[in-house]
Amino acid sequence: MLAGTVYGVVLNDRDERAGLAGAFAVSPYKAPPESPVVYIKPRNCFARSGAEVFIGDEDVEIAATLGLLIGRDAARTAAEDALAHVAGVCLALDVTVPHESYYRPVVPLRCRDGFLPLGDFAAFAPSILTTEIVTTVDGNSVHRWAPTRLVRDAATLIADLSAFMTLAAGDVLLIGLPYDAPCVRAGQSVTVTSGSLPTLKAQFNAGDAR
Amino acid sequence: MKRARIAHEGRALWVEVAEDGEVLRLPDGGSVKAADAVWLPPVTPGATIFALGLNYADHNKELGFQSKEPPLVFLKGPNTLSGHNGTTLRPTDANQMHPECELVAVIGKPARSVSVVRALDHVSGYTIACDYAVREYLENYYRPNARVKNRDGATPLGPWVVDAADIADPQALALRTTVNGKTVQDGSTADMVMSVAELISYLSATMTLMPGDLILTGTPQGVHYCEAGDRVVCEIEGIGRLSNTLVGDKAA
Repeated sequence: MLAGTVYGVVLNDRDERAGLAGAFAVSPYKAPPESPVVYIKPRNCFARSGAEVFIGDEDVEIAATLGLLIGRDAARTAAEDALAHVAGVCLALDVTVPHESYYRPVVPLRCRDGFLPLGDFAAFAPSILTTEIVTTVDGNSVHRWAPTRLVRDAATLIADLSAFMTLAAGDVLLIGLPYDAPCVRAGQSVTVTSGSLPTLKAQFNAGDAR
Repeated sequence: MKRARIAHEGRALWVEVAEDGEVLRLPDGGSVKAADAVWLPPVTPGATIFALGLNYADHNKELGFQSKEPPLVFLKGPNTLSGHNGTTLRPTDANQMHPECELVAVIGKPARSVSVVRALDHVSGYTIACDYAVREYLENYYRPNARVKNRDGATPLGPWVVDAADIADPQALALRTTVNGKTVQDGSTADMVMSVAELISYLSATMTLMPGDLILTGTPQGVHYCEAGDRVVCEIEGIGRLSNTLVGDKAA
C-alpha cells in the first residue's frame, strides 16, 4: 500500500526527554541522545484505516502521530527548505508491545504484522503541525497531544536525518511519539482525528492475523 | 544459477550470469560482458532489510559483548544499498569506519511461524553485503543507531544472488574481507550464534517475511578502520566477491 520506507523516531517528545534526563545520564545510555533515534516500520506492519489489528492477551501501546509523505528526495536538506519536500500527510497509529528500554532496537515488539494502521493521505499544509491529535477508544477521548511538543520539529527532523540518510519520494516519516500514549486490549476500537485530516480507525482483536 | 541486477540502456534489469561469470544474459536474449556491466544491488522494491548485530561468537569476544539472547535485530532502508564495483562515502571525521562482510539470505516465499527445520525452504538465494559501520557515531539508543547503520550507500550488496539450491550448507561457508589486498576478516558462517534457519524461524514468529526480504546475518571478527581510497572486497565461498571503493566526502 506504500511504495516507500516508513521511518519513525522515538525520544522526540520534550516532556518525555525531561522525565528521562536522569536515566540518560547512567548506564546503559551514559549520555543524552544527540542524533534522532530512528526506527523503521516495515511493510508487514502496514494496514489501512478500518483494519483489524490482531494482538495477544497483553495490552499494546497505541501512539497516534502524523506521517509525512515525502514528495521529493530530501538529501542534505536545510531545515528552512525541508517542508518543501513534504507532499502529503496522514494520521498514523504506531502500535507496539510496551517496553521500557531504548538501548536496543525492538523490532519484534514494534514491527508485528498490522502494527501500523495509516489513514488516507491529504495534501500537506504546515498548519497540521500545530493541530491537536485526538485518540478515542470505544468512544471515549483518552489522549490528546500536538506536535508542538516535539524536540525536533518536522523541518529540523527532516534536515537532521537527511544529513546522512536520504528521505526518498514515497517515504513516510512518523514525526514522533507521545510518551504518554494510551494502551488498548483486544476488543477495543480506536479512532484518531486531527483537524480536517481523514479519520483513522482501527479495531483491536484477539488472535493471530495469520 | 546466479541472478544479477544491472543498469542497461536506460533500464534496470535482472540478468542471468553465465557459468564462466564473464557474460550476463539479458531477458530479451541478448548479452553483455560482465566486465562492462553497471551493477545494481540485487534487491526487489519494498523489501524489508533485516540485519543482525553480534551474531558471531568470535566478533562478540572481540567487541567485549556476551552473546545476546534475544538476538540483536535491526532494520535498514533501501537508501543504504549500493551495487558491486560502486563507491561509498567515508565522512571526513570517520576514522573508525570499518567493513563487515555478511552472508545475506533472500526470502523466496512468504514465511510466518516457520519452524527451524522448514525455514530454509523459504530461502530463494544468497548474496553478500559489506555493511560498513562508523564507530564514532555509535550512541546507546537503538544501538546500532541509524547514523551508524542507515547511511546512504554504506551497504554494498551483490554482485548477484546465488540460488539456494547451489549452496549445500549456508553454515559452512568461508567469509573473507580484504582491504587493498590485505586480509582483515577471515571467518566462517559456522561461527554464527543463530543460524540462517534459526533467524528465519525467530523473525517469522512475529512478522510475515515476504519474497525479496533480505536478512543480513552478521559479521565475524576483524575490525579494520579504512581510509578514503581503500578498495574493499568481501568474499563468500560459493557466492562470489563484492568490491567497493571508499571515497572522501567532498562536502565535509
